[in-house]
Amino acid sequence: MSKGKKIAQYVFLTIVSIISVFPLYWMACSATNQSVEVIRGKLVPGTYLIENFKNLIGNQNLGAAMINSFKYSVILTLISLVVCSLAGYGFEIYHDKGKDLVMSIILLAMMVPFAAILIPLFQMFSKAKLLNTTIGFMLPTISTPFLIMMFRQSARSFPHDIIEAARLDGLSEFQIFYRMFFPTMRSTYAAAMTITFMNAWNSYLWPKVIMTNGKSLTMPMLVANLVGGYVTDYGMLMLAVLFCSVPTIVVFFVLQKSFAEGITGAVK
Amino acid sequence: MKFRKVLSGILAATMVLGMTCMSTSAEEEEKLTVWCWDPAFNMNAMYEAEKVYQQDHPNFKLDVVETPWEDVQTLLTTAASSGDLSTLPDILLMQDNAFQKNVISYPDAFTDLTDSVIDFSQFAEAKTAYSVVDGKNYGVPFDNGTVVGAYRTDVLKQAGLTVDDFTDITWSEYIELGKKVLDATGTPLLSMQAGESDLIMMMLQSAGSSLFDEEGNPAMVGNEVLTSVMGIYQELVTSGVMIEVNNWDEYIQTMNAGTVAGTINGCWIMASIQTAEDQSGNWALTNMPSLDNIDGATNYSNNGGSSWAVTSNCQNVELATDFLGATFGGSVELYENILPSGALATYLPAGESDAYAEPSEFFGGDAVSAKLTEFAGKTPSNNTGVYYYEARDAVATAIANVIAGGDIVSEIQTAEDTVKFAMGM
Repeated sequence: MSKGKKIAQYVFLTIVSIISVFPLYWMACSATNQSVEVIRGKLVPGTYLIENFKNLIGNQNLGAAMINSFKYSVILTLISLVVCSLAGYGFEIYHDKGKDLVMSIILLAMMVPFAAILIPLFQMFSKAKLLNTTIGFMLPTISTPFLIMMFRQSARSFPHDIIEAARLDGLSEFQIFYRMFFPTMRSTYAAAMTITFMNAWNSYLWPKVIMTNGKSLTMPMLVANLVGGYVTDYGMLMLAVLFCSVPTIVVFFVLQKSFAEGITGAVK
Repeated sequence: MKFRKVLSGILAATMVLGMTCMSTSAEEEEKLTVWCWDPAFNMNAMYEAEKVYQQDHPNFKLDVVETPWEDVQTLLTTAASSGDLSTLPDILLMQDNAFQKNVISYPDAFTDLTDSVIDFSQFAEAKTAYSVVDGKNYGVPFDNGTVVGAYRTDVLKQAGLTVDDFTDITWSEYIELGKKVLDATGTPLLSMQAGESDLIMMMLQSAGSSLFDEEGNPAMVGNEVLTSVMGIYQELVTSGVMIEVNNWDEYIQTMNAGTVAGTINGCWIMASIQTAEDQSGNWALTNMPSLDNIDGATNYSNNGGSSWAVTSNCQNVELATDFLGATFGGSVELYENILPSGALATYLPAGESDAYAEPSEFFGGDAVSAKLTEFAGKTPSNNTGVYYYEARDAVATAIANVIAGGDIVSEIQTAEDTVKFAMGM
């Protein structure tokens, strides 16, 4: 590659990087500025961070929102990974015409927007007395077509010879899943974990509809509350958004390498 | 003897326990749940109302749940559509523009307050009209969305003008004055969000006109007020007197950063204007311009505002109506207490209170609260109905097309066709 071409490439990548990172930088800067400074477009860090923090904790129950979001996201992610990986594995390893048809129906569900099933789902949960319960909160999102499909695709690249060998060695079907499939598919689990955690952390509509007693405030609800008023304190809002973003950023960076491998379907 | 002691002990314990239970249930009976959305504004008003009501009802308690307006609408729709209203609170705050739509769409979800203890004649008529369906009152008016013309007096001064020049004027005069300000200072008079119909709706209501007729049918084609309003909007943009911005944040920025010399909006906009403390004393309020050559045109209108509704899930309607009647529908003290948060009453007796006559330093020492209550009393009523938001959106699209070079008459025709399609006509 010629030097000129390389320079052009770097210049292009630098510009794209700046464009990508700039909103995050602006968010962090704004969290340290007064609302009116944010609205006037101040782009350098200010001295209003402590004040914004005081306003935020005075205005909203930040601690409870953080704890609730962590609690629901972690539990939901763990259960979701177990359920969806078992389902994806089952659909691929034991597949026959009937299961393939069921899988196609499950994939069709991906095309139905959540808002369309909101009211029937609410009716079902209401009749089952699951309103304002943790189970009601988590149940609709424990199993998602996307995750099942992802694990099914990964299972496709899992060598069937290993399963045969394991069966000959006397492992039960569940042991094969747990001791052979699970360790091999770590990168897929990492990718699935990142996606599920982010979705669970950011989920808004269903938790809002099902948890109506006001005692289950989550971080997205807290952020929505801050823009619900007639006057928005942008400094405080950006600080809340920063708090809301950090966990997902941390999860992503910790699992970044495995995430990329998992998404591309690599098997080691 | 020992047995009798034990027995009397058990009886005494039972009585104490029973009394505790009784007092607990009494306390439970005096509790109401409320949904509203602004801690500094309507939630604060509810807490203040709780204090006022507790003076005569010491056991009374409110559970105020912060719920953004969009969520109130989603939760209401979900509950009413699914037939399970048990998730609704006792009282919820509703945007005036959505009130009739919700009551007509979900009649089972609301309580008729007409024959309750609340005296609706004490409110501005245009305000109560938002929550009246088939002659029945379903809402207790809360905040005032009276339209104000807010101007930067320091900028006007550079053009040799004062706020008095903008009082009781027509839109053609406004545009001429706007051009003068633009020539002298390079600053437009007004900014609005592109793709929104707020200004159009304010202009329409100022002449007592609406997008629907009395039967609720679309009344856009041949509506001379709407045609006139669209023409004025177009002229405002083409003359440079008004600039259009992309979103709400940019709109606020134009005022806070001094990009424009004023705004026309519901009086709740004053709270956003006042966040720029360095502009204190440089703003003044007056009424909005009126439409030229239109019968019934006034300098007063309304944008936004909200009212309290009692849901049919309320287990103690008597308590809820008594609470609302004694506070938002009967306590000048409450309105005085919430005035510093910017909550201006549509409860007419409150306008006569001394607190409302207090001058506002930010707005050049003017008694703005009393002024706005007076404006509210002169505002013509608005006809909203079930498809109000669909009609607003259709008009917003129409005006965006007109600004892009479309023809006003054909765009109004398209807007009406769109609304009729939504209505299944």
